[in-house]
This record gives sequence, C-alpha cells and structure tokens, in this order.
Amino acid sequence: MQKLAAAIQDAAKKLLDDQKVDLVVGFARGSLPLRSTPGFIRKSCDAGKLTWDYSCENNLANYLRKREGKVAVVAKGCDTRAIVALIKENQINRDNLYIIGVPCSGMIDRNKADELLDGKELLEVEDKGDTLVLKGKGFAVEAKLADLCHDTCKTCCYGTPVVYDMLIGEPVPAKAEDNFDDVRAFEAKSPAERKKMLAEDLSKCIRCYACRNACPMCYCPECFVDCSTPVWIEKAPDTADNMLFQSVRVLHLAGRCVDCGACDRACPMGINLRGITRKMVKEVKELFGYEAGVNMEDKPALNEFTADDPQPFLVKE
Amino acid sequence: MIISKSAISGLLDKLIAEYQVYAPVKEGAYSLFKQIKSGSEADFSNKNSKIPPKGILFPQSEKLFSYSVTPEGARVDECVDSAQKVIFGVRPCDAKSLLLLDNVFKNDKYEDPYYLTRRANTILVGMGCNDPAATCFCTSMNTGPFDSTGMDLLLVDTGDNYVVEAVSDKGRELAAKLGLAAAGDADNAAAAKVKEAAEVACQVTTEGLKAKLDGNFYDEIWDRVHEKCLGCGSCTYSCPTCHCFDIVDDAVDCNGCRIRNWDSCMYPLFTLHGSGHNPRTGGKERMRQRVMHKFKYFVDNFNATACVGCGRCIKNCPVNLDIREVLADILGSEARDK
Amino acid sequence: MQRNPYLPLPMKLVKNFTETEDKLIHTFTFEYLSEEDEKSFPYMPGQFAEICVFGKGEAPFGIASSPTEPGHLKFSVAKVGVVSTALHMMEEGTIVGMRGPLGNYYPLEQMKGKNVVIIGGGFAFTTLRSLATYMLKPEHRGDYGNLTVIYGARNPGLLLYKEELAEWDKRSDIDLVCTIDRPVEGWSGRVGFIPNVTKEVSPSSDNAVAIICGPPVMIKFTMPVLEECGFKPEQVIMSLENRMKCGIGMCGRCNVGSKYVCKDGPVFTRAELNQLPNEY
Repeated sequence: MQKLAAAIQDAAKKLLDDQKVDLVVGFARGSLPLRSTPGFIRKSCDAGKLTWDYSCENNLANYLRKREGKVAVVAKGCDTRAIVALIKENQINRDNLYIIGVPCSGMIDRNKADELLDGKELLEVEDKGDTLVLKGKGFAVEAKLADLCHDTCKTCCYGTPVVYDMLIGEPVPAKAEDNFDDVRAFEAKSPAERKKMLAEDLSKCIRCYACRNACPMCYCPECFVDCSTPVWIEKAPDTADNMLFQSVRVLHLAGRCVDCGACDRACPMGINLRGITRKMVKEVKELFGYEAGVNMEDKPALNEFTADDPQPFLVKE
Repeated sequence: MIISKSAISGLLDKLIAEYQVYAPVKEGAYSLFKQIKSGSEADFSNKNSKIPPKGILFPQSEKLFSYSVTPEGARVDECVDSAQKVIFGVRPCDAKSLLLLDNVFKNDKYEDPYYLTRRANTILVGMGCNDPAATCFCTSMNTGPFDSTGMDLLLVDTGDNYVVEAVSDKGRELAAKLGLAAAGDADNAAAAKVKEAAEVACQVTTEGLKAKLDGNFYDEIWDRVHEKCLGCGSCTYSCPTCHCFDIVDDAVDCNGCRIRNWDSCMYPLFTLHGSGHNPRTGGKERMRQRVMHKFKYFVDNFNATACVGCGRCIKNCPVNLDIREVLADILGSEARDK
Repeated sequence: MQRNPYLPLPMKLVKNFTETEDKLIHTFTFEYLSEEDEKSFPYMPGQFAEICVFGKGEAPFGIASSPTEPGHLKFSVAKVGVVSTALHMMEEGTIVGMRGPLGNYYPLEQMKGKNVVIIGGGFAFTTLRSLATYMLKPEHRGDYGNLTVIYGARNPGLLLYKEELAEWDKRSDIDLVCTIDRPVEGWSGRVGFIPNVTKEVSPSSDNAVAIICGPPVMIKFTMPVLEECGFKPEQVIMSLENRMKCGIGMCGRCNVGSKYVCKDGPVFTRAELNQLPNEY
C-alpha cells in the first residue's frame, strides 16, 4: 500500500512539475480511522499528501464533471467505470483528463467494522496484510480484510481500471462473473415481502440526498425531487415518498449505474441502497447485455437504437 | 439521589404511564432517540445518537395547521403539540443545543408556538459522558461531558448505579415524584471520580476565530475548504443546532395543511429566487454560509457559537469533510491580497 | 404566548387586474372579511406580506397599497413561481390567506422635513407606490419637502399604475419623471435608462433621502450617479428581496450576513448594506 501511495505521489508530482495538469484529484489522509478523504493537489510540493489504502472508498469521478483545465485523477476500477460513462454523456472531456489508474481489490466498509465492534469506538487500526486489528479503549479485534470489504467490492469484476493513462500497481486477478446472488435472493421473495423489506429500510431515510450527491451519475441540474411545478414528491421523509425517491433514482440510472456503491457508502443511516440499484444493473445486463462504463466502445444501452429493433415502437410503418 | 441500573427500565415504565418518553434505542450499530413504549427499549450503551434529539421538539416534518376553504372564508385549525414529554438520556451537548435553539424560535418580534410549547412541556433527563468519543470537542464549544446546563436532571454513570443531580426545579419535582433514594457519600464520591476521569481529548482552537470570520468573507480560503463537499444535507440534518426549515402545503381541493420540513443551507434551492437569481451560487458560498452562520452570525446575534462539538457532522460526512480541520484552516489562512 | 405568527388571515380577492401589456404582472386587490381583521393588520409602506394560495403554498410580496387606503390590500405580482402563477389564474371572489404585515418599513419618521427622491425600475415599484401614496395624503404631505419620483420601464406598456402616474403628473406637489428604455411612437416622456435619467434630473442631496428599488443592474449603475449628486450612503435607502419562507426570522434562508431580510429588513440604508456581505 505504501509503495502504491509513493508511486501515486511521484506520478502526481511529475504531472504537476511538467505542467501536464493543473490539478490532481486523489485521496488524502482522513481524520478518522479507516477513512481517507478526497484531496485536491495543485502544487507539486503538496503531492506528498496523497495516499492509497483500503479506505479510499469515495468515487472521485464525482469531482470531474464539467471541469475547466487539465486534471489528473487517481482512479480505481469503479471510478474509471464512472469516468467512461460520463465521457459518453459528454460530462468529461477525455482530452483534458489524465487517469492514474490504481487496481483495487476492495475498500473497507466502516459500517461493517462498527457492527463488528457493536457500537464501541474504533480508535486505531493495525494493518497486518490480510487482516486488520481494530483497536479501541480496552479492546483489539482482529478481522479479515475480505470480511470488512464493501459488498460492492465483493461482486466487482472491474477492480483493475478499465481505462487509464498510467497504471500503478499490478492488475488484480480476474474474478468469476458476478452472478447477482443478492438480487436473486431479493427476487425470490414475494412482492409483499419485497415491499416490506424496502419500506423497512427506507423508513430510516432522512432525505439528506447524500446518495444522490455522492453518485457520479446523478448530475441533473434540477433533480425531480426539487421540482416545484409539479411537485413530484413531498419533502417530508415519509416512507412511501422515500421509496418513490429511490425508485425514480434507480429508473433514471437504468443503463447508467456503474455499480460503484457510492450511494450506499454515502448514506449516513446505513440503508442498503445498492440492493435496489443492483436489481436494475441486473435487468439491463440481461435485457441488453450491457454493463455501464466497462469500455469506451459500447453505446449506452438506452441511448441507442437500431432499425431492426425487435419491438416496433421505434419504427414508423 | 441515586437509581440502580437494574431499576432504570421500571422507572422508565413509570414515566411512560404519565409522559411521552423518548430515549436512545439501538438501531444496528447506532442509536436513535425514539418514543419508547416500554422501558426495556432504551439503550444507553452508545456514546451518542446518530441524529440529535432536536427533532423531538422540532420534528423533521410537522403539520402547522390544517385548513378548509369555503366561499365565505377559511377555517384554520392549528396543531400545537402540548403533550408532556421526557427526553431521557440526553447528552450535555444536545441539552446545550436546545438552549441555543431557544434563541432562534423566540425573537424580539415573534414566538414560534410549536417549538416553544413542546419545549415548555419537556423535561430533560441528561446523561453525562464517562467516555467521550474521539470526535467530541464539546469542551472547545463551551460545554463538556458533565455540563448540566439546560438539563433538569443529570445522571452520572457510576457502574452499577446512576447518581442523579437535580439541576432545575422541574427536575427536583420529577425526582420527588419518582421517589428517588438519596445517594450515599460513597456514591457521590464515585460520581465525582467519574466526572474527574472523563476526558475530552480533542481540542479545537477557537481563539481568534470570530475576529477572523469578521473580516474574511472575501478571502481565498473559501475557494478551497468546500472543494470536496458534495452538497448533501448529512451534516445539517445531523447537527443539533441547525434549524433551517421550509414551509409547504399539502392539499386536496379545498382541504389541506401547512407543513414545515427541515431544510438545509447546503441545497442550491434553499436561496434560489423566483427570478432564477441565486445569491449563493455554488458550493463555496453555501459552505461559507454554514461556517459563518455557526461561528459568526449566530455569535453576532446571540453571543454564542452555534456548535456544541458533538462531532456528528464529522462522523456522518460521506467525504470526511471535518469541521475541526475547516476551522483550523480558516484560522491559519491568510487574508486575500487587496 | 403571542399570536401564532404562522396562521394566515383569510382575505377575499376582489380584483385580479392585468397590469402590464405583456400580461406578466397582475395587480391583486384583497378585501378584509371583517373590520376586526383589518385592525389586526396595521401596516406601513415598505412592509410585505406572505400571500397564501391554499393548496399551493405561500410567497412574500411587498404591499403596494398604502395604509391611507383603508379596506383593502393591493399587490402587484410577476408570474414567476407556483404561488404567483396560481394567483394570476385566480378567480375574483376566491379566499386567500394573508400573513403579516412583515418586516420593517421605510423610515418615514426620520424622513420628516426632508426632500424625498424615489427611484424605481420595472415592477419593483410596488412598495414605492405605497410610499408615494402615503406621502401624498394631505395630512402627511406637509411633513416632507420636495417629492421627486423617477420611474422607468422597458416600454410604456410595462409601467405599473399608469392611471395614477397620469394623476401624479398633473399634481404640483410631486415631480414625476417617467422614462422608457427606447423611443416608442406616442411616448412623449423621457427616453433612457434610469441611471442616465437620474443624472439628467440630478436631484439635490441637500437635506434629502433617496429611496431606490429595481433590478440589480439598475441599482448598480444608479448608485454612482447618486454618489455624484452628493448622496451619502446614510441617505440612500433600499429594499432587498431574498428567498423567504417564514417571514419572521426563523427559517434561516434570507440572511445577508447576520441580518435577516424578513425581520431586520427588507428596508436597509446603503450604509447598513455596506457593512454586510453582498449575498442578495
């Protein structure tokens, strides 16, 4: 990890020194254990602030839309998928972006650590390679890195950046294809059970919109929740409206969601948002054979049509 | 006075018979203040609730009044909640925050009957913090782990018991009603020891902060501190002193109600004019407003900082934008060259 | 406890009048339902009210009528949002809610004995109409010196209160200067932007106050003209608009620095505004 961080720092320093970019967006040390924070580096002397470890969970593609000037970004697999999707939606100009790709084998879910510690406060983490020792006042709990990973990372097949200008570190070994077991378990439930499950989870929503704002693909100038004519959705965090909010969000991300889990990670209330977004990811994959942002070539599933579409709705007889 | 921990559940049941009782309830790894129907639901093992208890007095969404319109006029029925409430286990930072909110909901011209009625009918049973979290910086914000300001009773956890301090007349009355036993010298000594041992490790420098903010509105520092902010409302909704709200109507035909909902200064819509003009155009302006409101404007108006150092915004921010670091950056920043 | 400040007073819309040629501004006249209601609404020029269209919500508007015109309240409203659009479509006879009067008002006491220059642009003439009407009332007129009104719109069709302007034009106790941006056939008044016309009129700042309301660009370019005329920041009075909800200094959105436009304003002197950040 430290080697990777040093290589990222060197790369950033060189890019800034050579004036190839004006800004490097990467990760800096956070203020809490298991927490890195997005960092914005403009001077090569500050490149040393960049870091890399298992706590770089944020999707930095969020900071790249409609940016002026030349920018470099430290990007793991899911960040690059979002970058690709955003390039296709003309939100990012590839010519002005330098991608420092970093293969990723998974980021840590702080909620899992919290649950493991049952509310006890985590103060320090000791890295022992495959395991971490979580320490606080009067306790030290050893946990496998793999067990603490975000669920997104467990199913992710794109740990190695799908596009980059420079790759730091070794590509991660290929994984078996995502079989959507989690979505299948959800689908196996009756509609009433599904509704109950979603309602229970979404009753926790406080409508802070952290999920929407953390999503690299959610960038509408006016989100439907903010629209006043008509009012699509009430502002009060009523469970039915919370469900409507997430349903519309998911529909709007159909064929665009890169399954990075940023929404899930951002939620302060620990709602399983990814459970809903992945259902749509699976639908799109099954219907169109399309996964968003996995390469530069594929046309986005819902932004394309062919004259020989099996359904007649596009073609005027 | 003293309560044995084993008697707490029964004591809460006794209170429930007479009051709406709110206490921390465990929700997975975190806890939330909720109205409890049984004393056994309460759980005081977490350091502090995920979301502050301010919502009990100032709900995230509340009906102000209902109305029905007729050709001759309108019938308006106000919905002021005057139920007797007890918030049990409120931490010193949150109790302090209610004193700050009192300033907001009663000004020189107007009184907010919704908040003030609830406030007047609420008893605050506080819980001291034996072991403040690493994100707590209450002692830098004019409060502390056993500050009883604003409470009616304060509970000090001495292991098997809570030693109870009466803070106000309301508290003394409640204690008398509950028939709490007197604490022995040993118990009081144990409580004093616990108080002494509690340490808030994190200190935030506030010296010179107000003076700095008085003159730095146009400084370059604001171009940077907001940069990673996503513009969500996680910090404001988890803040015990944030109080901004929106007012909307919900109606079918001629019958409806007026509702107020929490709002956030971090949202672009918050200040957007009907004309399309927005006095706070971007993340920079909105972040500046949040910091200025807490550490300058509130001080100008009420001679107090609108932050109690509870640390919730630090824990809940999806990008780890830490207010302690923001304040340090501001204090260390240089004035813009004129 | 005081009266609940969130409860609206029911009032009846008695006139929905299309004020401007582009039909985007209507003037609404509301009548009190009882004398008691009227007594509960004592207001002064410069104050505003939250008009509530039941089912749609509330929005703040400056009061265009003057307390010297009893029995009703008048507002001129541009069609921009949900509430204003609902108002524009409202049938006469409909009941609305009225919350107010809110905010401070023009400093009529301090203005006594002084010459008054009123400068307005576009549809921001509403509370200025209230002010001028109040001062023109015979029992008040003697309290003030010369009254000059400079009022401009893009074209004659966009001027508010055309009939009253014509009446004022005939009076000798008010000096009315109307202007439009570009020459139009049939217009015999002045042509030119407010800043230029103000320069031409060149009002004296001796023992005078200037009250100015209008679009930001008009204010921006008129300020230096007033300065040239010798108006000190203390002599220039403005009325701010910011998005508002509660109108009573609690909901937290209309602040400019530590001042709330709804409660501490909307009327401020230029000197006061110079102490505040430019967030309006």
